[in-house]
Amino acid sequence: MKTASLVATLAAVAIPLAAHANAGAGHAAPAFTLTDIHGKTVNLADFRGRTVVLEWNNFGCPFVEKHYGSGNMQALQKKYGADVVWLTVNSTSTGSPDYMKPAAVDTHLHEVGAAPAGYLMDDPGSVGRAYGAKTTPHMFVIDPKGVVVYNGAIDDKRSTNPEDVKTARNYVAAALDEMKAGKPVTTATTAPYGCSVHYR
Amino acid sequence: MVTTEHVEAELISEKASAQPGQPTLVGLKLRMADQWHTYWKNPGDSGLPTRIKWELPEGWKAGEILWPFPKPLPVGPLMNYGYEDEVVLLAPLTPPAGAPSGAATIKARAEWLVCKDVCIPEKGQLELTLPVSPSPPADNPRTQAYIERARNMWPVEAKGWKYESAIVGKSLVVRLVPPEGAAPPKNAHFFPDQELLIEPAAPEKVTREGRAMRIEMKLADPPPANLQAVSGVAVSENGWPGMDRKAIAVQARVSASLAPAAGSIGSAAGNAAGGSIGIALAFAFMGGVLLNLMPCVFPVLGIKVMGFVEHAHGDARAMRVQGAMFFAGAVISFLALAGLMLVLRASGAQLGWGFQLQSPVVVVLLGLLFFVLALNLVGVFEWGAFAQSMTSNLTVRGRYADAFLSGVLATVVATPCTAPFMGAAVGFTLTQSAPLAMAVFGVLGVGMALPVFLLALFPQLLRRLPRPGVWMETFKQILAFPLFATVAWLTWVLGAQSGNDSVLALLGGLVIVALAAWMYGRWRHSPGMWRPVLAVLLGAAGVAVAWPTPYGPGGPGIVSKAGDLPWEAWSPEKVRELNGQGKAVFVDFTAAWCVTCQVNKRVALHNAEVVKQFAARGVVPLIADWTRQDPRITETLSSLGRNAVPVYAFYLPGDATPHLLPEVLTPAIVLDELSRINGNGATAVTQR
Repeated sequence: MKTASLVATLAAVAIPLAAHANAGAGHAAPAFTLTDIHGKTVNLADFRGRTVVLEWNNFGCPFVEKHYGSGNMQALQKKYGADVVWLTVNSTSTGSPDYMKPAAVDTHLHEVGAAPAGYLMDDPGSVGRAYGAKTTPHMFVIDPKGVVVYNGAIDDKRSTNPEDVKTARNYVAAALDEMKAGKPVTTATTAPYGCSVHYR
Repeated sequence: MVTTEHVEAELISEKASAQPGQPTLVGLKLRMADQWHTYWKNPGDSGLPTRIKWELPEGWKAGEILWPFPKPLPVGPLMNYGYEDEVVLLAPLTPPAGAPSGAATIKARAEWLVCKDVCIPEKGQLELTLPVSPSPPADNPRTQAYIERARNMWPVEAKGWKYESAIVGKSLVVRLVPPEGAAPPKNAHFFPDQELLIEPAAPEKVTREGRAMRIEMKLADPPPANLQAVSGVAVSENGWPGMDRKAIAVQARVSASLAPAAGSIGSAAGNAAGGSIGIALAFAFMGGVLLNLMPCVFPVLGIKVMGFVEHAHGDARAMRVQGAMFFAGAVISFLALAGLMLVLRASGAQLGWGFQLQSPVVVVLLGLLFFVLALNLVGVFEWGAFAQSMTSNLTVRGRYADAFLSGVLATVVATPCTAPFMGAAVGFTLTQSAPLAMAVFGVLGVGMALPVFLLALFPQLLRRLPRPGVWMETFKQILAFPLFATVAWLTWVLGAQSGNDSVLALLGGLVIVALAAWMYGRWRHSPGMWRPVLAVLLGAAGVAVAWPTPYGPGGPGIVSKAGDLPWEAWSPEKVRELNGQGKAVFVDFTAAWCVTCQVNKRVALHNAEVVKQFAARGVVPLIADWTRQDPRITETLSSLGRNAVPVYAFYLPGDATPHLLPEVLTPAIVLDELSRINGNGATAVTQR
């Protein structure tokens, strides 16, 4: 017994802990309940049976600015808005210079003409961590069964240049089109690019 | 020079001039504001590598950027790879062979992302005038210091080093094997060239494997498909032997598994890691000695010693040989068992030590074996012509074989006792290389066999015992009771595995076996074959009755009594879900056959104060029961770096990375752990 515990302690010292969760493609999407900018409670489970897109957002980030300044993100939200539930999630902590209060977010959404089904506040960062959201933007597509089918970048042009949107291959649009056609998602995992999510 | 808000950017040249047809180094020097950083070619979890687009005179060619090794830059729970303060990104530029002499204008459009708390994409149009001249170029004194700094940070090819790599469970392992006679540095950090290969934020585990250095990293989830090779940079702050550089370039093919490291045990004794291997071996030896006192081993050895007592006054040499045979039998069967397990594991079976006891069939057979041994000891029957193991009327050769078989038997009966007590220790061993694991098992066997061997070697010790007589018979009968106790324990284990009906079947089987043993002993003087035949038939009937159904009705499920923790069943999804809801989660990885687990539960987890604090802090207790095989548990354990129970994992609200508690718990340890959450974590997510 003593032997076991001593050697086990050695083992515990030698083996560091694993880090970070990840809602990798093929895994069940972690459940969550968040509050949107209007104070309404939003539960992921309510959308079982529908496709859900999660978009990690921080308007202070130049990569996010690239996709809103060019109108790219709003266009996607409108184009697919009828078929999917598009939820924009903000995990920026209240201590970050990029943190925006819900009212300020609301104003900004109107200014840029964004149309997500909900804009969710996650300033404690719990949901972001559970999903392993790393960058803004970082995109997840969840199928009607609650399984993550896409996890990664918005497109294949890793830059802050709005011009690149025209020539980029949009992974989220590709995944949603394939799902609509009843096909499996070909590109299910890519490396997200952008600013770090400003976790607490 | 271009000056932006956070960066001063400049094009610099290594030489004062360029020679036609000869490459010369030109690069981008970025001077970042305090605490701001730019990125390496693999930026890590976020960020963007700096880009240079050259606009060169006619016929000039530009090579790839020579990236200095990066620095890990943690950002909250994320990890970036990049540079702070200053970085010089050089690239070889080659003017054409027929380049005319005179000033050449080199232009570069550079784009970089510079970040601190926020990120700013910046760019600059840079220009440098470099004379072209056929004479050998002179150094450029103004830039030499910068160029030298960058050059020293380039990863170099390390002569004579070999690199191996494999995916082990959820980890990527890269092994760096130094040339003969060189020792790797104590520590290093590996930066992979490829993105989405590993979780950059997960700590890298660096260990010594013989002469080699082993770096274990957490694979990205999902792992890259069809991974053929990995490449990257290994950085050691103390440099590498024979090189005045901190970074070496590593390229390795990814194979299905890693061969044992060369010289894993032999040369390890002399190096730093040798300490812990030495300690592991010392503990294995002590553990082996302690096994002699285990309820399942002691009776068997006791009988062997009894046999010695009868001979203690006889031929000393013959006894020594017998002792040696016993020793060999025990050590060889320990090694054989360990080898079998390693082979099964290598062929992909998800096994940990104690795996035998996950099979109800093995538990039933062991229960029957111990029961029969106990009946024999208590005197219900004598073995008779079957096996005269304890009697002395054997030939000398027969006695040697008997001694060897006693060693084997001692090992066989010892395994169910080793598993519950030594599971964690042996589990650690299994994470090491195969030769080391075998060494630990061998030493365990040596420790177990040594006391009996010493008695055989020095029979004068035995002469202190009373002369053979009636006391021996009494002692033998007393030894039956630890065996009965072991049967009781195995029955309970079976109950946890296959339910109440299996327990009834086993008990029924035991009754029939007892009847067979009694008949065999009662009419021992009766001639004729009816007696052994009937005994065997009845014995077989007993085994058949006791044989467990292949798929029992499942374990008892989760049973919580008042005053216990309100356990719920574990699943990876459940942990993720609770975690996502911002709840703190405590997972008990346990098994019925794990004695340490049961002791911890009684002593620490069901302590009144602990139960109260679980409730007060809203911690959800989950139980992951490994009593039966469960690949999901085996997989989760392996991702936590373990392969035996107990393991206690504590997840703070919203933190998907658990903290592991020690294997042996006290209420204080658990309370201390719980106090890491502030108040009620249950509402962490549903804010505002």
